[in-house]
Amino acid sequence: MNRSASPASLIGRVVIPLLLIALVVGPVAVVFLATVIGPWVVGVVNSNLGILRFVLAIAGVLLFSIPAAFIIIYMELKVIAYMNLRVGPNRVLPAGAAHSVVAGLKVLTKEDFTPNGADRIVFTWSPVLVFLTAVMTFMVVPFGPGLVGAPLNIGLLYLFAVGGMSVVGLLLAGWSSFNKYSLLGGLRSAAQVVSYEIPLTLSVVGLILLAGTLSIDSIGRQQAGWVWDWFVFRQPLGALIFFIAGVAEANRTPFDLTEADSEIVAGFATEYSGMRFGFLFFAEYVNVFIMSALIVTMFFGAWNAPVDVNWLLRLVGVGPLSINLDPGQLGSSLMAAAAVVPLLATLILAAPVYLLRRHRPAWQALLAGFLLLNLLVLGVIGLAAYMDWDWVAGLVWFMLKSFVFVFVFVWMRATFPRVRIDQLMGFAWKWLLPAALLNLFVTAFAIVLIKSAGIN
Amino acid sequence: MTTQAEPSQHRSEDDPRIMLHGQMGQYEQVPPYPPRTEREAEFYTLGDGEMFLNMGPQHPSTHGVLRVVLKISGEKVVDLDPVLGYLHRGVEKLCENSDYHHIISQIDPLEYVSSLFMEWAPVMAFEQLMDVQVPRRAEYIRVLTGELLRVASHALFQGWMALDLGGLTPILYSFIERDEIVEALAALTGQRMLFNYFRVGGVNGDLNHEFLSRVGDWMSRALVEHEANIGLLNENEIFVRRMRGIGRVDRDTALRMGVTGPNIRAAGVPFDVRRSHPYSVYPELEFNVPVRGANGGGDSLDRYLLRLDEVRESIRIIDQCLHEMPDGPVMARLPRLMRPRPGRAWAAVESPRGLFGTYVISDGTDQPFRFRIHDPSFVHLQLVGMLMKDNLIADTMAVMASLDPVMGGIDK
Amino acid sequence: MDRTLKTRLEARLADRLAGPIRQRHDGTEIRIRPADMVEVMRVLHDDADLDFAILADLCGVDTGETMQVVYHLWSSKTPDWLRIVAEGMPREDPRIATLTGLWPGAEWMEREAYDMFGIIFEGNRDLRRIYMPPDYASFPLRKDFYLADDAARSPGGGVRHMERTSPPVQATPGSVRRTVRP
Repeated sequence: MNRSASPASLIGRVVIPLLLIALVVGPVAVVFLATVIGPWVVGVVNSNLGILRFVLAIAGVLLFSIPAAFIIIYMELKVIAYMNLRVGPNRVLPAGAAHSVVAGLKVLTKEDFTPNGADRIVFTWSPVLVFLTAVMTFMVVPFGPGLVGAPLNIGLLYLFAVGGMSVVGLLLAGWSSFNKYSLLGGLRSAAQVVSYEIPLTLSVVGLILLAGTLSIDSIGRQQAGWVWDWFVFRQPLGALIFFIAGVAEANRTPFDLTEADSEIVAGFATEYSGMRFGFLFFAEYVNVFIMSALIVTMFFGAWNAPVDVNWLLRLVGVGPLSINLDPGQLGSSLMAAAAVVPLLATLILAAPVYLLRRHRPAWQALLAGFLLLNLLVLGVIGLAAYMDWDWVAGLVWFMLKSFVFVFVFVWMRATFPRVRIDQLMGFAWKWLLPAALLNLFVTAFAIVLIKSAGIN
Repeated sequence: MTTQAEPSQHRSEDDPRIMLHGQMGQYEQVPPYPPRTEREAEFYTLGDGEMFLNMGPQHPSTHGVLRVVLKISGEKVVDLDPVLGYLHRGVEKLCENSDYHHIISQIDPLEYVSSLFMEWAPVMAFEQLMDVQVPRRAEYIRVLTGELLRVASHALFQGWMALDLGGLTPILYSFIERDEIVEALAALTGQRMLFNYFRVGGVNGDLNHEFLSRVGDWMSRALVEHEANIGLLNENEIFVRRMRGIGRVDRDTALRMGVTGPNIRAAGVPFDVRRSHPYSVYPELEFNVPVRGANGGGDSLDRYLLRLDEVRESIRIIDQCLHEMPDGPVMARLPRLMRPRPGRAWAAVESPRGLFGTYVISDGTDQPFRFRIHDPSFVHLQLVGMLMKDNLIADTMAVMASLDPVMGGIDK
Repeated sequence: MDRTLKTRLEARLADRLAGPIRQRHDGTEIRIRPADMVEVMRVLHDDADLDFAILADLCGVDTGETMQVVYHLWSSKTPDWLRIVAEGMPREDPRIATLTGLWPGAEWMEREAYDMFGIIFEGNRDLRRIYMPPDYASFPLRKDFYLADDAARSPGGGVRHMERTSPPVQATPGSVRRTVRP
């Protein structure tokens, strides 16, 4: 190569013209953006704030659903392992905490296999449909006061409409796989989900009569206060039916006929591999979380704490707290305190650690003290936030209660055998449906009676 | 499905570089040969709205490599055809070509969950051929280890039963129970699964301290643990309802179908080889032969519960064996190379699955001329086809698991 | 040994027995002709004194000269196992009637005997191979079946097959190397 032919290197020959262009174009573009596009974008955003909020909510929900599924999968592995007197996952991170994440990554790397004879388009898109319907129901679930993707007035209606759509995905997945096990699984899921949709919906109608609204957010708000204000105590039968039908809707043990491994291998998921299987798998666990969340929202006080915090505070003599600190108003002594207190606190907290056990190096004690201080500060800040920000407290309570129900789902999986298809259908039509209707009529009658008696 | 007139080449959709014979989605008819028997022709003709479901040979709940072709109409099983041979190793031929001592280890892995019984029957047959008197201590040791293994086998059955019905947990509890027994036997025999412990004329080695301490430890809580383990299933409404009334076998059918073991006792026939044709020291031991389903025949639940009853009886026998174990040698004096005189011998033992028998013909050499193995699971599997008609697919598992077949024994 | 069983059997089956009744240990053995098999079995099963209710085993035997089918029965009326040997079938075309009329459970055992010995059980509704693949041609438990590595020669025979320098004698189909007196 003749390197002396050109004084500038190849990079130079490209970069220098680009720099020149940038020098010219940059200011022009900035001016253009500031004068023409910027206002236009702001205008569009302002006029479509609802849509933007919706899109952000969808993104948030999508981003939330994956970790939630990971946590539930890990929980299922570990909890069932302990119930089986096994150890369970214990390789990735302490106690195998990242096991499900790694398993998810593994699923991504698997071959995406399509069997001969499958209906390719349907086969490809049905897992997406299943997953999307699962995630879309998240949109109306309030995670805390005001923390809801789309505060629809007809939230419950939307919920059942979208939730019922998942059966289409399962049926298509089963049908398009060109496999008899898949077909049986798909048909089973169609029969099962459609049958249990009815008691599931009817069990909530009593609640709707009581609450007088279809908005899930509003149903949550009405349960504020003490634990006995939760709807479960006014609708015990409804709650029970909703829970049972919810288990069936989520295709979980003892109603996991659609993927009964000892009968039809893996049901509709038999032929799926790679991320398509991952979608079906995630959808199952997202469904578990949604069912738990819905039970909590409708019957177990939504995001409300079981105790009336404000009442307690008033009892102690403190009104609802609100902390308003302005850093600008801090005096010099406070500034000094801010500099000295952490050091002192670290030393004080480190002292017992150092004294309690001999031969412990001082740096370890100091580190422990520092960590303890951080925890303490975090706790104080969290408490303050809890007092001040309703939605943080709501989120904490909501998650706590939801995961209690997730645990119940997992517990049932470790305990129960599977029911048979005729028992499943018979239970839905002969027991749950009449019970749901009875619940509805009794509730309606009671409401009319109370109203006519003029109580409340 | 239509048959292709002439095979033409098509590009695979997954990898277009690959050429396939025949168009995608078109497969050969089942079976790919003209039906050989009347029954096969009848089975492989589909009625209106029926389809075949090929279950196995790799299927989670066929207890090994069994293939069952189900003819189903919706969820209902119209008919089924078990196809064997995926695990066939020709054990009878192997045994006819090994000498008498080798046979014990050849036949060991037949029913891998209760392998001592697989050794017991041929050993008894050879002893008849050789006219050997087995020392009493050896007989007691045989009964002791055999009954221990019966408990282990039934414990495993209970777990598999639950697993086939979708329960995850009992199988692990069963394995804990089985493991304690198997570890004890491993201390005695040196192996955990295929013990290779019985010998012609006795057993291979006397009881040792570790075995006895392990067995003693286990016996001190065997019944309590057994009751605790079965509580999870027996008090489960779903489990009981899945089993009750399914796969009912009445007394006459059981006799005509050649059923033996717990399955025939669950049908109301008190046939137990240990009592009906006593061998070893069973006449000296006290135990009951539990019978269920005396009126109207037994269903899957009866078969399940009967095995639990048997575990209690086995624990009784183990207790008696431990208390009445005589002193003495554990092997009879025998030549190293056995050449029994020409003759025939049949010996049968009560294995956890039923009557396990061997028929041996000796021609005077050191190898048997004919060595026949009769496995109870093989006979019991025939019942599935009869019991499954007009039941649901899910019941196939409940019935098949309750008959407790082990494919190693069926396929020989 | 149950002496009374011998007299009972002789009384019931006198003309159908093809040989003397032999008794040894806990077994009694009778020999019959294949053509009489079903009738003998019916007598054994239905007769109130004999009452052999349980078919313990059914197997084929190739003695090298003839084919046998051997049945083992159990009855509550005797402490002995009863062995019925239906003997004298030609090796070229062994045929016997099926037992599935009496014991339907014999179906698979007959299929196995067919699969292993080629014994044709006339009347069995499903007489096809049970272990070997459907297109398999020979019958593996026959004595003229050629074992490829000839593991058959035992250490007791004087030569260890693993140490042999020359290949074993080629077995041609039809050549029987071991026989037993039927």
